Amino acid sequence: MNDIIDVFFVLILATAALIITVRTLSSLFNIYSFQSLFIAVVAVVLFFQTGNIVLLLIAILTILSKALLVPYVMRRIQKNMNLKRDVEFRYLTPIGSLLVGTLMIFLVYRSFSTLLSELSYDDLFFFGAVIGLSITLMGMMVIFTRKKVITKIIGYLMMENGILLFSLFIAELPFIIEVLIVIDLVILITLATILAYGIDSTIDDFHSKLNSFTLWFKD
Amino acid sequence: MLLAYLLTGIVVLILMLIRFPESEKRANYLNSLSIVHTSAYLAITITALITISLPSYFANRYFFMDSFALYETLIACSVFFLSSFYSRGYVRRLMQSGEIEVRELRVFYAAYNLLLTVVVFSFYCNNLALFWILLELTTVLSAILIVTLNAKENIVAALKYLFTASTAMLFSVIGLILLFAMTKNNTGDGNLNWDILQQQGNALPPTLFTFAFIFIFIGFAAKAGIVPFHTWLPQAHAKAPSVISVLLSSVLLNVGIYGILRLYAIAHLNPSWHTISIILIVFGCLTVAVAAFSMLPRGNLKKLIAFSSIEHMGFILLGIGIGTPLILFWVLFHTLAHALVKTLLFFSAGILHEQYHSNMFEDMRDIIKLQPLASWGLLLGCLAITGLPLFPVFISKLNILMQIAAYSLPLLCVILLLFLLVAGAFTTILIRTFMQKADHEYESYPAAMSMKVPLAVLIIGIFVMGVFFPTGLQNLLNNIVFSLGF
Repeated sequence: MNDIIDVFFVLILATAALIITVRTLSSLFNIYSFQSLFIAVVAVVLFFQTGNIVLLLIAILTILSKALLVPYVMRRIQKNMNLKRDVEFRYLTPIGSLLVGTLMIFLVYRSFSTLLSELSYDDLFFFGAVIGLSITLMGMMVIFTRKKVITKIIGYLMMENGILLFSLFIAELPFIIEVLIVIDLVILITLATILAYGIDSTIDDFHSKLNSFTLWFKD
Repeated sequence: MLLAYLLTGIVVLILMLIRFPESEKRANYLNSLSIVHTSAYLAITITALITISLPSYFANRYFFMDSFALYETLIACSVFFLSSFYSRGYVRRLMQSGEIEVRELRVFYAAYNLLLTVVVFSFYCNNLALFWILLELTTVLSAILIVTLNAKENIVAALKYLFTASTAMLFSVIGLILLFAMTKNNTGDGNLNWDILQQQGNALPPTLFTFAFIFIFIGFAAKAGIVPFHTWLPQAHAKAPSVISVLLSSVLLNVGIYGILRLYAIAHLNPSWHTISIILIVFGCLTVAVAAFSMLPRGNLKKLIAFSSIEHMGFILLGIGIGTPLILFWVLFHTLAHALVKTLLFFSAGILHEQYHSNMFEDMRDIIKLQPLASWGLLLGCLAITGLPLFPVFISKLNILMQIAAYSLPLLCVILLLFLLVAGAFTTILIRTFMQKADHEYESYPAAMSMKVPLAVLIIGIFVMGVFFPTGLQNLLNNIVFSLGF
């Protein structure tokens, strides 16, 4: 069982590395989709280990919202925006980002090995927490280094995935809270994508979009 | 009681669905609904303050009412109440000048009213995770309110706000999870309720708690505009319509501070308290310093006021960091005073913007002759916010400074020096603006009655608050400090 989780840890880290470096938007969305799927699989494996039904629900919720719904919305907006690639990087080149990312994993590992000893976790849970937090930090790096808003949103989503992984291994929050957080996230992402659309379109188009969006979530 | 809040909110939102074909009528109808909404909330809050025994719990202890929550709600409802009147004339004017479109009115008012409901419930919720969720919702709603104006800069400002605030808030989730794990480790049952956390405060492992505190603090600090997470604030405040700047500055910053103070009350019982208090003091000083230095070269009125908000939030954080009961008493009073004065300043700035179609000081000419009330509002507001005697900010500032002196004299000197800079910035700009003569004839913009009355009420209110300190308020503040466990 633990071996399966280890394999998926590696896969999740690989997707994170891809998100940092890839330039084509549609593959960015796909990679994000896969990353969410991998995390859901980890949750399912943990469910078989512990028998905690909440983990299964979280897995289903993750697949529905993050592997399917959010990438779908992003793709539609991207079609409207007529934008294929995000080639601009600020501060860091892709290689540099990878190096900084590796450094981050190391730092998180070092600081956690002293901190989490107070809560007495075994190795697997410890690694899960480290990878979760590292991915969160890498997501933040994506937000800082990419210029297009739509890539920034992917960075934000990656941060959120990292936190989900972190919470799977440290302590699951009550399910109702988990659901509310996801709803919150979907609203936020939708708004952010619409705003991103607004920057690249005429103000008039944008406002009609905004108008329909708020009415939809109010009714 | 909470049901009353919820029902009013829902009814108002449903009534908003009624359509009026004529734009004038629609604007007035939507605004009247908002006035009804805000006055109902104010009335419910006052009733709750008088009748309910504190603290009382609702909905499986997920929500509660205590004196602190009621106090903050009272401030928020009063600001919303005044601004709902102000927006009647203001939004009509925005419509005439084409800055907001008729079909956007419903979005604007729906977000406005939802924001009020969400803010009130965020004060009343007893659960840290729920508080986080509501706080995120306030970000979303205020971002919508910022982009309803017809300008591309507004989208940029809103996006910046959205990204800074929600990225920081994600770090809070890490803190929340750690906190949850700690309580689970302690009692076998994880919990994030404010009251339970406060009971367990002394039993949480100190290093890990400090770690969790810092993570949660990052998110709340971003909402409260604490340096270095303040980068969204000046732009958002300057670009938003003035009615919304009022809400951002007087209500939403307070929500962040509210979260920090509640968290600090838990930290107060923990052995890690000294470390945490030093962290807050450092961030507070840094915030005041950055704001003070940024204020001097400002040419934009609303940006200047925004930076002054940052400065005050830093000052409040500094006070919280020192954390004696007396200083907290005055910090709480300071949040009230700051909220009212900021409302006055942004109301005046709104009228001035409609007069000159600009927020830049250099464009404001013949200000006293053209807009007597707004220029008095600006003048008195600036004097009040720098903390001149006879104004409420003076009392709280003086008392907080005295406590800082007892804590550390060098710190006091630094803060005083920074305040001097702030006062300098305000004075030079006031003198320049009020001396400028018109180079051509300006047409005076007749501000609507609904904009002038709240302004006048605020001026009078601020004067009264400066010289008169009711015992009721004193008892309430004492109660809050006591219930937070100081």
